Amino acid sequence: MKLDIIGKRKIFFGISIVALVLVLIITIVVGPKLDIQFKGGSIATYTYTGDITPDEFGKTVESFLGQDVTVQKQENSVTGQTSMVVSLTSNKNLTTETQTGLLEELQTTYADNEIEASDINNVDPVMGMEFFKKCIVAVVFASVIMIVYIGFRFRKIGGASAGVVSVIALIHDVLIAYGVFVLLGFTINDNFIAVVLTILGYSINDTIVIYDRIRENKRYYGNKMELGELVNMSINQCLRRTVTTSLTTVMALICICVVAVMMNVSSILSFAVPMMVGVISGLYSSVFLSGSLWTLWQEKKAAKAAKA
Amino acid sequence: MKRVGKPVFFVVVAILALLTYAAFFGVSSKYGDIDRTYIKGADDIRWGIDIRGGVDVTFSPPEEVDATDEEMSAAESVIKTRLLNQNITDSEVYTDTNTDRIIVRFPWKSNEQDFNPEAAIEELGKTAQLAFYKDVPIDQTTGLLSANAGEPVLTGADVEKAEFVMQQDPTTGVSQPVVSLVLKDEAKEKWAEATKEQVGKQISIFMDDEVISAPTVDEEITDGRCVISGNFTAESAVELANQINGGALPFELVTQSYNAISPTLGMGAKDAMVKAGAAAFIIIALFMILYYRLPGFVASIALMGQLAGTIAAITGFFAVFPSFTLTVPGIAGIILGLGFGVDANIISAERIREEIRTGKGIDASIQSGFQNAFSAIFDSNITVVFIAIILMGVFGPSDSIFAIPFNFLFSWMGLGTATAGSVYSFGYTLLVSIILNFLMGVLSSRLMLRSLAGFKPFRKAWLYGGEK
Repeated sequence: MKLDIIGKRKIFFGISIVALVLVLIITIVVGPKLDIQFKGGSIATYTYTGDITPDEFGKTVESFLGQDVTVQKQENSVTGQTSMVVSLTSNKNLTTETQTGLLEELQTTYADNEIEASDINNVDPVMGMEFFKKCIVAVVFASVIMIVYIGFRFRKIGGASAGVVSVIALIHDVLIAYGVFVLLGFTINDNFIAVVLTILGYSINDTIVIYDRIRENKRYYGNKMELGELVNMSINQCLRRTVTTSLTTVMALICICVVAVMMNVSSILSFAVPMMVGVISGLYSSVFLSGSLWTLWQEKKAAKAAKA
Repeated sequence: MKRVGKPVFFVVVAILALLTYAAFFGVSSKYGDIDRTYIKGADDIRWGIDIRGGVDVTFSPPEEVDATDEEMSAAESVIKTRLLNQNITDSEVYTDTNTDRIIVRFPWKSNEQDFNPEAAIEELGKTAQLAFYKDVPIDQTTGLLSANAGEPVLTGADVEKAEFVMQQDPTTGVSQPVVSLVLKDEAKEKWAEATKEQVGKQISIFMDDEVISAPTVDEEITDGRCVISGNFTAESAVELANQINGGALPFELVTQSYNAISPTLGMGAKDAMVKAGAAAFIIIALFMILYYRLPGFVASIALMGQLAGTIAAITGFFAVFPSFTLTVPGIAGIILGLGFGVDANIISAERIREEIRTGKGIDASIQSGFQNAFSAIFDSNITVVFIAIILMGVFGPSDSIFAIPFNFLFSWMGLGTATAGSVYSFGYTLLVSIILNFLMGVLSSRLMLRSLAGFKPFRKAWLYGGEK
């Protein structure tokens, strides 16, 4: 089996562009849901007696407020008083009317549990602008270092361009995973950061393995083989490895999803599902995008040099 | 080609098995009622709030203090630094500037032995105001700093860096732990003046109104250095140095409430994670063995070693090292690291298969297969190592070596230095498992496979991916 990737590159570029446009549309139409860590909001505490699960309590609050909340069970270490801690994001602080309304709703729903509001704090985001600025610093730094390192190690095949292309492929994969996050309505929180970082790693790895093969083939064939053909051959030689690696990862993630569903810990899904999509996108971008993009760049450069 | 001896396989397997056993189950002894842990097992992992829950503490300034927004955010950043200094890498710190409250959440489970949440909370709320006075202005009745002591010569704000060092006593020759201070440039002159004036007399050092040391000055100190010696143990000296580096709070923080809180991911998250991990590992191992045969078998053993090594790095392994908090991002780091481990083995196995299929002999195929695979594994792993280091530097404690290049940039951009630790823990687990990957996925796989290839039953090309 041999795929003609370089020859059909326009199709693959097209698929990626369509996918990215979809991500943009999803962002505008559905809109990302930011967690309290990013957006700030309120943390309200309700004391109760008896048994209530945080899940059902959360559903009651959600249906009243019409927004997602996180509920944690809390127990005072000294008095043993149990309470539910509700974290919700909001653009403005909770009004007194909403607070009273919610309390009444809770007291009627859980009539036997002696629910009382004990505390409401309106909090600033923990990871606000400062966190985002740091992310940008990290991303810029990592990109520069990657381009420099790849540029140096792959200097025989016009390294800097390879570095830039791998950064493009990486951003592509991260955006796709972000789109899935938003589409499925998962809240952007710590899990999201974990997913983005992991995909970043996978994406670079996939791309570098293919560059490595191009570098090796270039050594054997030099300029005897046409560039597009050489890149195509290299990608095909790596194909078994690329597919198997992605396959093992996807298998592991499916496994995590199944266990999470079986044990009813759905919060883990918001980690495993987008990651799975990210890994598949990484497979796609390394096979169909990075090699072709790089070839395109080299051909343009050669054409320019020929003109001059 | 130099052959690897037959016993090598068994030696490597034995080492990995020992490591795995120790990392998962730990080594401890029981003398009567006293348990002593020598090596910490997987049970000693400290899980993050997201997975296991923890404590939720609300702090506020004392009632008579009306804190400004700036003071509250200064207090928040001091608390974040102190949390990191206490090795609590997973925490949430929320500030409500309207009611002047700071809510801190960090992981803890009720039967945890080596971590005391009350002590940690007390530590967080302390003002940690360091002050140097001429002579020893102590109030005779309370034994604390006298109310009319006047202005201190130096405060914690004049200190550039505090560090724990072992210092040898010039007369007795005994080494003792001390805290060494480097002063900021602008404070050097003040210090020189004060020490010149106090030659032959005492200078006293107070921490939150309690005197910790009152040495006699021998001579004027002009280089802006000084050493605090007292009755320190190595631990208390490190703690003091951390307190000074972490900075002082603008006011003392009083604990308003203190509660145990359930995991953000819901109950059962921890069990689900562990079970899912075990199931995923078994499936990958089976797949590797069925698909790649002998190299896959060897890869599974190496992966086990890599996982065990990563767990050892999280628990701290030896009882003296503090353990690291494991959160979902941390687990993601391990998964990615293992992914690189699987991939390194897949790349090698594929290259060996290619060589075998060109009709080369088994030994030559293994040799050049590993050789051809190495540059790809090396380049991709090193690139990820860089990323892990950058993440640890940007999102970790500001006094770590990884953070040095970023401190200038952050102070220029007006950003605080300590941030939420979730990304830091991703960087840490990833860095550790990639380093282990070189040791396990590259070195030990190679040794095991080449050693096995020396056995007669294993000298069949199809075991290495050749045609049957």
